[in-house]
Amino acid sequence: MVSQIAQLIVSGVLAGGLYGIISVGLTLIFGVLNLVNFAHGEFLMISMYISFWMSEIFNLNPYMSLPIVVAAMFVFGIIIQSIFIRPVTEASHEVQIVITLGLSTIMQNSALMAFSGNLRVLRTPFSESMIEIAGIFINTQRLLTFTLAILATIILYLYLTKSYFGKAIRATAQDSRAAKLAGINVPFVYMITYGIGIALVGLAGASIIPLFPVYPTIGWHFANIAFVAVVLGGLGSIPGAMVGGIIIGLIESIAGFYFGSEFQQAAYFIVFIIILIIRPTGLFRK
Amino acid sequence: MKISSNNNNSLFKYNNILSHSNVFEFVFIIGLIALPMLISNSYYRDWFVMAFIMAGASCAWNIIGGYAGMLSIGHAAFFGIGAYTSTLLYVRVGISPWLGLIAGALLSTIAAIVIGRATLRLKGTFFVLVTIAFCEVLRFTAIGWRSLTFGSMGITLVFKKNFFNMMWQGKTAYVLLTFGYLVFVYVFNKIIEKKKFGYYLVAIREDQDAACACGIPAAKIKTIGLMISAFLTSIGGSIYAQYVMYIEPDVVFDIMISVQLILIGILGGKGKAFGPIMGAIIIIPLSSFLRGSLANLSGLHGFVYGVALVLVIIFIPEGVYGRLYRFFNKNKKNIKNHVEGVM
Repeated sequence: MVSQIAQLIVSGVLAGGLYGIISVGLTLIFGVLNLVNFAHGEFLMISMYISFWMSEIFNLNPYMSLPIVVAAMFVFGIIIQSIFIRPVTEASHEVQIVITLGLSTIMQNSALMAFSGNLRVLRTPFSESMIEIAGIFINTQRLLTFTLAILATIILYLYLTKSYFGKAIRATAQDSRAAKLAGINVPFVYMITYGIGIALVGLAGASIIPLFPVYPTIGWHFANIAFVAVVLGGLGSIPGAMVGGIIIGLIESIAGFYFGSEFQQAAYFIVFIIILIIRPTGLFRK
Repeated sequence: MKISSNNNNSLFKYNNILSHSNVFEFVFIIGLIALPMLISNSYYRDWFVMAFIMAGASCAWNIIGGYAGMLSIGHAAFFGIGAYTSTLLYVRVGISPWLGLIAGALLSTIAAIVIGRATLRLKGTFFVLVTIAFCEVLRFTAIGWRSLTFGSMGITLVFKKNFFNMMWQGKTAYVLLTFGYLVFVYVFNKIIEKKKFGYYLVAIREDQDAACACGIPAAKIKTIGLMISAFLTSIGGSIYAQYVMYIEPDVVFDIMISVQLILIGILGGKGKAFGPIMGAIIIIPLSSFLRGSLANLSGLHGFVYGVALVLVIIFIPEGVYGRLYRFFNKNKKNIKNHVEGVM
């Protein structure tokens, strides 16, 4: 019984790390650009496709191509931001939401046209391998994803708090007008921040390709979880997003075990509604 | 006291039922019903039926998304509740879809109360996120709860021609039914536009803090708006299920339904009762045509929706009818601050 609960907690936390890294990118973009990126999940889908095709065409295994995918997604994010999002920086919230929603639809359907709706699976030796620690089974690939996610979050956090440009990003997040007055190139900060957010999603996408099949609408599912995680952690808070992701992972694994996998989503939604009613600013925002 | 005489005068002019825009709307709607009645080709009639359903549902979305400016991306949830409730009641218990339609609408209203209570006192972002999450949860529940909903297999309705079953031979009855639904929602919007309630919604959209300062209970008004919107959207979902005779979670609870409703609303002009009708009559035939002529390229019509969404919001944010409306009422500059769909 105890080991069963421990198993649930471990697999919940491991899944949560993945949700966390997707949410961190989303919350970073929200915190700095004040924009809910509804195309977030589609970037995940695209990075999974890049990783998949690299392996199919160049025979490059997903661990080797991971840095390439992350770099490619960083550039892709910057391009998308410069073309579609920069012109509406000053526009109303509604306009921004509609733009990112439109982008999401465009990317999803482009993938559908280019790659068809078939599920594509990429298996690596780590996909199924398990290690056992004190009676608890851990999937090696999930452990790897989790470690990468935590590492990336810590590096990002350190970068934002310690480095010069990181401070500029935080200053822009706090007050973009004051940041502009202090001589910070705000449009440039917006562009790079969006790129970083998308690169984080790229990291998530490249590291889950051995675990999940890729198809054009896969991003939407993960994006939804990320929306909930971000609100749980407090919009704009990076540690909050990570913890929010882990909480969702835990809820999902525990509810899935006790109520059946059909009601996992219902469970975290109910928690979501309760949190919104009692603490609408999220768990970590002051 | 002195200002009021001038104001009354302009308001009187605006309320004139024979204003250019009203005449245009009336003629357009007459044309809308005349055309499918004259055409006997059932392929083209299908375009009209779908356009009427989506226009009606988008008009319903317009109440909260247009007038109140609360962009709901989860309206497929209400659409799906309507489709599933009426269909399940009919298939499982044998209750007429006419009653199932009401039951679905009431269920949607209850869902709207829950969502409204949880989010509408918060900023818009929370509302948007919760509507999406809610829709997604319903989709997964509909897939997972196989014993009730048949899961992702979906439900196929067996055709039994009967008024009681809301099934008819040929398309004429469906054209009339969906047109009736569209006109009902449209007239409802028109009435709201003129009532205090509509002005409250617009005031909240323009400046919520100022509206609250004037004593408008913003959260309550928005919740009621969402309830009405959910009720009417749900009816559209029930009618859709009866017309298509096949529903599955990945269609009726899909984000594409919400995207279509938003696109139709924004393309036509949101915050205008007539806007969504115009939007639907442009986009539905276009996408049906694309789907029909390039059937092997699945995803193309969705791609067109996305591109249209981005282009419209950048270049004509007030929508096609918003432009026309301004053209019709060009010489009434003094009442420009009236209900306008411009963001």
